[in-house]
Amino acid sequence: MLAFEAATKRFGAVNALDDCSFTAAPGRLTGFLGPNGAGKTTAMRSIFGLVALDGGRVCWQGAAITPAERARFGYMPEERGLYPRMRVRDQLVYLAVLSGGSQPAVGRSVDEWLERFELTDRAKDRLEALSHGNQQRVQLIAALVTDPQLLVLDEPFSGLDPIAMANMADVLAERAAAGAAVLFSSHQLDLVEDLCEDVVIVDHGKVVLSGDLTRLRAGVRQRFVEIRYTGAAPPLSGVPGASVVERREGLIRLKLAEDGDVAEVAALAQATGRLLSFSYEPPTLSQLFHQAVGS
Amino acid sequence: MTGWRQIWVVATREVRERGRSRAYLIALALMVVVVVAAIVVPPLLENNDSRNVGLTGRTPAGLATAIEAQGRDVGGAVVRVREFDTVAGGEAAVRSGAVDVLVVDASRLEWQRRADSRLQAVVTGAIQLLTVRDRAAAAGVDPDTLARVLAPVQVGNVELGQVAGRSPGDETAALAMTVLLLMVISTYGGMVLSGVVEEKSSRVVEVLLARLPARKLLAGKITGIGLLGLAQVTVTAVAALVASVLVDSVDLPAVRGAVLAWAVVWFVLGFALYATAFGALGSLASRAEDAQGVAGPATVVLVASYFASFAAIGSPRSGWAQAASYLPVTAPMAMPNRVAMGATSWWEPVVAAAVAVATVGALVRLAGRVYVRAILHTGPTLKLREVWRGRAGGQGAEGQGAEGQGAEGQGAEGQGAEGQGAEGQGAVTSSGVESAGQGSRVVALGAGARRREIAAMVAGVVLAVVVGVITRDVVIGVAVGALLVAAARTGMRHGHR
Repeated sequence: MLAFEAATKRFGAVNALDDCSFTAAPGRLTGFLGPNGAGKTTAMRSIFGLVALDGGRVCWQGAAITPAERARFGYMPEERGLYPRMRVRDQLVYLAVLSGGSQPAVGRSVDEWLERFELTDRAKDRLEALSHGNQQRVQLIAALVTDPQLLVLDEPFSGLDPIAMANMADVLAERAAAGAAVLFSSHQLDLVEDLCEDVVIVDHGKVVLSGDLTRLRAGVRQRFVEIRYTGAAPPLSGVPGASVVERREGLIRLKLAEDGDVAEVAALAQATGRLLSFSYEPPTLSQLFHQAVGS
Repeated sequence: MTGWRQIWVVATREVRERGRSRAYLIALALMVVVVVAAIVVPPLLENNDSRNVGLTGRTPAGLATAIEAQGRDVGGAVVRVREFDTVAGGEAAVRSGAVDVLVVDASRLEWQRRADSRLQAVVTGAIQLLTVRDRAAAAGVDPDTLARVLAPVQVGNVELGQVAGRSPGDETAALAMTVLLLMVISTYGGMVLSGVVEEKSSRVVEVLLARLPARKLLAGKITGIGLLGLAQVTVTAVAALVASVLVDSVDLPAVRGAVLAWAVVWFVLGFALYATAFGALGSLASRAEDAQGVAGPATVVLVASYFASFAAIGSPRSGWAQAASYLPVTAPMAMPNRVAMGATSWWEPVVAAAVAVATVGALVRLAGRVYVRAILHTGPTLKLREVWRGRAGGQGAEGQGAEGQGAEGQGAEGQGAEGQGAEGQGAVTSSGVESAGQGSRVVALGAGARRREIAAMVAGVVLAVVVGVITRDVVIGVAVGALLVAAARTGMRHGHR
């Protein structure tokens, strides 16, 4: 279990982390969300001691992270980069040995990963000779090769094509299934909603929402109703507890407060025109996010 | 994984990646070729140890034998003697080069051009010897009595300022080490600098620092690159040794063991010190173009301490020479030279080395901090001041503490005849630096700024020697030379902007 305990970091007048507390549990994927400049990268760097906290601490299994544990965690920084002129396999073996692996075991592991990402025939090439996509793969292998119990990835999906995205999602889910705690930041809320069990949303260095995504959604008393229809629009403006969020030709979105009656809305929707679809759902992650960061 | 293992893993990578690069291997091969050629070629070209002497006119009996004997005993050369019937015949032989000198009537030496002083001494010596013996016989003095009368009195030299057992080889060894150190620091310290900047500009540094602390990364890098430098020095030295044994040209001067040991210790310390400084400064730059600019201060200090070391030979007991040999930045070059001059007590280099080791340790830690702060910073070059201001003071005191050490003991010392010695060494210096420049030029991979810097350094040394000779004052020479280098550097930096 990775735990941020009241982590605080100031850069001059800016609070990059402000009494920031959250956890990332083993066996689960945790999405780390927040607008740009919210403190995600600072938080991730502090796990690896790249940023010295002004207050609070970051714990692994209940105690401060030791250098040996830290070296074994997998990390993919936001700004990707490896030695451009070093050979792919040499490079991966080097990084894994630095993490504490023993030479022969590391070699086998590197070869397996290269095989899986179809890079075996590029093993002896210099990194700079590889395509951008392949360099990204090598970077991912560097994070994965020690079989880490904690995997931290800063924007792993940025710049990937849809197929690479799906592969990345598979790999992350697979690591979580194998028991690792996986924490990654992203701006792609739909993807996080599909993939993650847990989310942490930060804004201005503070955690504004965190926990099990399903429970977070269920915990919100408001519900969202979406009605698609043809013909005349249903007269929904007078329903108590309901407020129209969006109205377009053939589409109405409503926010229904706790005391709102969904049956009444449904009856009105059926009464006029022709109803194409009717959904009554807890808020999506995207709605939660916008609510949480107050945009 | 233990910290030492991580340092070793980093060092191994540096050795493997750089050691098999073409630039390194070419530089190494070139160095060996140049050094071996410098040893082998001159004796092959010269090969004129056998000299020819022509005799003509009235010649005392036995002169030919006497000249040959004298040549063997005194000149250490094979001298062949030919007799000519006429002066004209002999002179023709001199003109054609068949004979080096013609002895006419045992009283006039005829040369093609300028007299060869060594051969002249051999020939005149033989004539003197024969003449004195003839005159003695004429005066009725028995040859044995004469030999007793003329037996030379042994007059020995004792240098009160020098320690017993000090050999001229000591000085040469310490000097060679100083020149070598400057060369290795400028080449391999430059590698540390560009290596740090490369890691920063390629952003691999964040991946690395997540795995190991910056000070271990830096220590490993310096160890690895230092080993490469040591390998080059060793290979070159072995090649030079083998070459000189084969050619039988150089008799290696005897060097006191302590002098040699200290030279090696200070070589390692000096490299570690400057390489650490280069590494820390390198982390302030984000791009390769900025690397030379940020390394400026360390380069200036390096050149200044190089000059200071030659001044330290000139007056090894003066107060400022003592100070220079304790101050960590100048000690690696000043102290071994003072040791070689026999101007130190046994504990002095020990204390200075301890100070230097402590400084290297502190510098590695400090550099580690600069590294972490600066390394995650991209964009314009960081100022050292900004990094420091970022972390609430408390640092920086280390260097000062060490400097304080230097101010002790103001041993009075007469300057006297030492100017001469220092000038001679100055001449050795300039050629040494030139070859140093060549070595690093090969490795510098066409970095124009680097080449200009080395040119400025060479010019500075030459100027220092010239001014030193003219003014007969080493200190003024060094000051002027250092000024030139500093001015050139400042000009270069403004040129970049």
